[in-house]
Amino acid sequence: MDPQAETPVLAVVGVAKSFGPVQVLHQIGLRLEAGQVHAIIGENGAGKSTLMKILSGYHHPTEGQVVLDGQPITLSGGPDGEARGIVLIHQEFNLAEHLTVEENIFLGRELTRGPFLDKARMRRMTREWLDALECRVPATARVADLSVSDKQMVEIAKATSRRLRVLIMDEPTAVLTPTEAAALFRLIDRLKAQGVAIAYISHKLDEVKAVADRVTVLRDGRLVASRAAAELSQDDMAHLMVGRELADLYPAKAPPSAEAEVVLEVAGLGVPGLVEGVSFALRRGEILGFAGLIGAGRTELVEGLVGLRPKTGRVRRRGREVALRDARDAVAERIVYLTEDRKGKGLLLDMQMAPNVTLLALDRLCPGPFLDARAETKALDRAVATFDVRAGRRDLAVRALSGGNQQKLMLAKVMEIDPEIVIFDEPTRGIDIGTKQQIYHFIAEAAAQGRACIVISSELPEVIGLCHRVAVMRAGRLAGILEGGDVNEGEIVRYATGLKTSEMKGAA
Amino acid sequence: MTAVPQPKPARLPFRLDLRLAAPLIALVALFILGALVNSAFLSTGNLTNVLTRSAFIAIIAVGATFVITAGGLDLSVGAMAAFVSGVMIIAMNWLMREFGAGWGTVVLGMLVGIVVGAAAGLVNGLVITRGRIEAFIVTLGTMGIYRSLVTYLADGGTLSLNTQLRAVYRPVYYEGMLGIPWPLWVLAVVGAVGAMLLYFTRFGRYCFAIGSNEDVARYSAINIDRIKTLTYVLQGVCVAIACLIYVPRLGSASATTGLLWELEAITAVIIGGTALKGGYGRIGGSIIGAVTLALIGNIMNLSNMVSEYLNGAVQGLIIVAAVLLQRSIAARK
Amino acid sequence: MLRKIGLTAALATALMIGQAAAQEAKNVVMGVSIPAATHGWAGGLNFHAKRTAELLQKRYPGLKVIVKPAASATVQANDLEDLVTVQKINALVVLPFESDPLTAPVQQVKKSGAFITVVDRGLKDPTIQDVYVAGNNPELGRVSGEYIKGRLNGKGNIVVLRGIPTVIDDERVKAFEEAIKGTEIKVLDKQYANWNRDDGFKVMQDYLARFPKIDAVWAQDDDIAVGVLEALKQAKREGEMFVVGGAGMKEMIKRVMDGDKLIPVDVLYPPAMISTAMEVTALNFYAGAPVRGTYVIGAPLITKENAKEYYFPDSPF
Repeated sequence: MDPQAETPVLAVVGVAKSFGPVQVLHQIGLRLEAGQVHAIIGENGAGKSTLMKILSGYHHPTEGQVVLDGQPITLSGGPDGEARGIVLIHQEFNLAEHLTVEENIFLGRELTRGPFLDKARMRRMTREWLDALECRVPATARVADLSVSDKQMVEIAKATSRRLRVLIMDEPTAVLTPTEAAALFRLIDRLKAQGVAIAYISHKLDEVKAVADRVTVLRDGRLVASRAAAELSQDDMAHLMVGRELADLYPAKAPPSAEAEVVLEVAGLGVPGLVEGVSFALRRGEILGFAGLIGAGRTELVEGLVGLRPKTGRVRRRGREVALRDARDAVAERIVYLTEDRKGKGLLLDMQMAPNVTLLALDRLCPGPFLDARAETKALDRAVATFDVRAGRRDLAVRALSGGNQQKLMLAKVMEIDPEIVIFDEPTRGIDIGTKQQIYHFIAEAAAQGRACIVISSELPEVIGLCHRVAVMRAGRLAGILEGGDVNEGEIVRYATGLKTSEMKGAA
Repeated sequence: MTAVPQPKPARLPFRLDLRLAAPLIALVALFILGALVNSAFLSTGNLTNVLTRSAFIAIIAVGATFVITAGGLDLSVGAMAAFVSGVMIIAMNWLMREFGAGWGTVVLGMLVGIVVGAAAGLVNGLVITRGRIEAFIVTLGTMGIYRSLVTYLADGGTLSLNTQLRAVYRPVYYEGMLGIPWPLWVLAVVGAVGAMLLYFTRFGRYCFAIGSNEDVARYSAINIDRIKTLTYVLQGVCVAIACLIYVPRLGSASATTGLLWELEAITAVIIGGTALKGGYGRIGGSIIGAVTLALIGNIMNLSNMVSEYLNGAVQGLIIVAAVLLQRSIAARK
Repeated sequence: MLRKIGLTAALATALMIGQAAAQEAKNVVMGVSIPAATHGWAGGLNFHAKRTAELLQKRYPGLKVIVKPAASATVQANDLEDLVTVQKINALVVLPFESDPLTAPVQQVKKSGAFITVVDRGLKDPTIQDVYVAGNNPELGRVSGEYIKGRLNGKGNIVVLRGIPTVIDDERVKAFEEAIKGTEIKVLDKQYANWNRDDGFKVMQDYLARFPKIDAVWAQDDDIAVGVLEALKQAKREGEMFVVGGAGMKEMIKRVMDGDKLIPVDVLYPPAMISTAMEVTALNFYAGAPVRGTYVIGAPLITKENAKEYYFPDSPF
């Protein structure tokens, strides 16, 4: 560690944390300096969130101290931290859905004039803070009506509206569009200039490289490195996080031949109000990417395709027209969809692993009316062996698994029906880089086995590194399908932002 | 992210399911209370009375366990019981003219009851799933409908089974086999079949899945409408089975039959450890819950501890205490 | 002016005068507000109200009768408002759920100019009513108590099954206790059985488990008595005691008539009193002379000797 002349605003010294017999943090020392962005990176389960919660007062360290302005302190909880100017922006939002933006920002510390609320003043101040974030949301909008990214902006505005000394952000750009992320980075620059100390957690190493002054890497609850950002390349960071080389993040591409059978043809597919006139074809062994901005209608498109939403247009399976009115029809045609909403729509969080793995294929695994415990155990064995699902115990509720393991479990679940077409929606969101690599290889392997894959992703490097062709969507329509040398960041962004369009007629 | 594996105590070679043991412990506590209140409590006669009495609610609660586990609710069961009993009595009285006052008539009447119960459940299920209306509203509506229908059938009075038929049918409630009354045998069979359906069939698994997250179930290609409708049909059949042993008890049905049974059944299910929001169900627990409720009423009748004006308050207190005890034991898991 | 007339007498008079005035086709709307059929007695009440409504409408062509059963005192208060504003009634026949809460709503109806007939339970302010057809709840309790006292020679163990916690139930139980005061009759316990057969069965089962020696049961109501009898039959203790019900359910009167040892008597509390009230109210408009005053319907003891007079096999109750 570099010798630091100044006293840090907030620091932890020799911090360890255990939950029961499980130690999740070992002897961590960390300094957050005024006017600096300190990035904290690590794989899922490395202890980042726990560390952040200790910094902001939500958890108490088992050993060691939290030091504010050189004085050891004991925070009694999140509100106590906030009162001292330490604000944590959660991954899950802390907003009252049914109140307006301004009501949320002033919640619990409303401005008053006499016995009445001073609404005019609160509205004016809210406007100023939102403007600083380049956020166009009206101060009187109900939070429930906002998009996810706008909610995040409101959350940040709420944090900046306080006497802010330390801002801790946990994956702030996960739900932001590139434009919104750029606005956030400009805000971070302004906060730095005001002397705010910022802790920044992210999985996106390019972002970390761009925004951080200092990078601390955690692995398995231990601090493995803490260096100036300038000294570390993105590759270095990745190596430090996983502790091994990640030379082949993406598997080698093996596009199907031009003669490969067309297994799916979509013509003029629409989802009322959201998607219109999308046509494409998919071949055996192909990985087709879907890129586009958040809200471009990619998820809605595939949900319409597999019958989870009402749709218009035609779908042909091996040349034969199929209706696909609900997920059962899709499964009968051996088409499966892995939702982007793992926790809300993908897994039964309070149930154990086995029932989750077998849920989709239960009528295949247990053909009679009765359950077959042995068949279910075997299915879980297969999931663990094939997809490397790691869990301490098999009877754990799925809720207790890490995001990466949940994603693998979902993958195992859909593979149980031996699908021919697999649709992945944001398959690596919120997952650490080591698991990401594994999932890329699973997808490539599925394609190599002759399955056709669709991958929706908002991470361009992923789409470019993994997919044979890339369809780009914009505002509910297909803007273009790129292949070969055209599959690059510049082209995709041009199509996604509307700088370029191509007339699509039928399948590309 | 960073999901920290929750610390777990070391596993015993055999582990008691505390969520099931908890209601049992509450029940044992009540037994001790009962024995302290009055020595007559533990007499075979009294215990047989209470257990037999609890059979109706217990059988209905078995059905309610399916509905609630799958995330639904059926408020119409009490009214449905009155309606099914009424129709059964009318059918038996009518059939007697054709087939005489014998077992043939009684058995045919029972079949009519089962069909009517299943149909009443089917109506609930279809309106809820096809109409996409909250179960609470639909079954509140059918509760009024079934209750008025029986009032209408009885002309505001009481429907009574023909005296001769009554004599044939009466032993179904009052007699038994191996010293155990028939209602308890029926309950045992319903409980065993219910447990088998809920724990060991795909249907049961789908009930759990739908109750714990309907979206996940939909994305997992489960036919939600069919499964949910089936739970209501099953509830209707359970109500009808309860009626099969209810009618021979007093041989009559009126607008007051089955009053508040829906609340008793739901309470029994919750005491038994089933989650009211769905996703977790326990058949055995529901039966224990029904017995618990009957015991509380019995203990109140056997004691002079409080004025009869306060009976309701004491019953309420004991129910809340039983659930508290149960939850605090379950939480220690 | 207080007139005491028997129920049957009133009906007969009403019929006679009614027929005489049938030609007069005056337009009158009569509202009838009564508790809904939530137990056997109330079921009988509803039956008689509806039957009488049809009868009266046939007899007086200009008369329209609206029967509104209410499930609670609150609902009944709402019904009264609707009857005035929507139906524009000229006369109201009301059997109030509870005396106190319904006094003010009935007063409002009175202000609209309607003729008011109160049945069974009196209002707080007796000046509101034009006619009062009074049931006599204390009398029912007293008659039952006197009978049990006499039959047991002032000595023995009895159990009491109460109705639904209401003023009616209280009045009956108080008068009953008054009647057996000073004797050596011991009330072992009293519990609510809600005028309901199932509850009567359950409570009696528990009494039987608890008390080895019971000489008499006061079930207060014939529906409760049905459940009590079933519990006795199950426990095979029918020979040990007798049961006194109340209201006058036809099955019970039959048993009294047949000399059943278990049911030696019944105490009449006829739901048909609503018919009397409706008939009298109609007379006020069609008989030419105003009708005013209080009609008290007694609670006579039905015994083997007089049971025949009270037995109507076609009645639903």
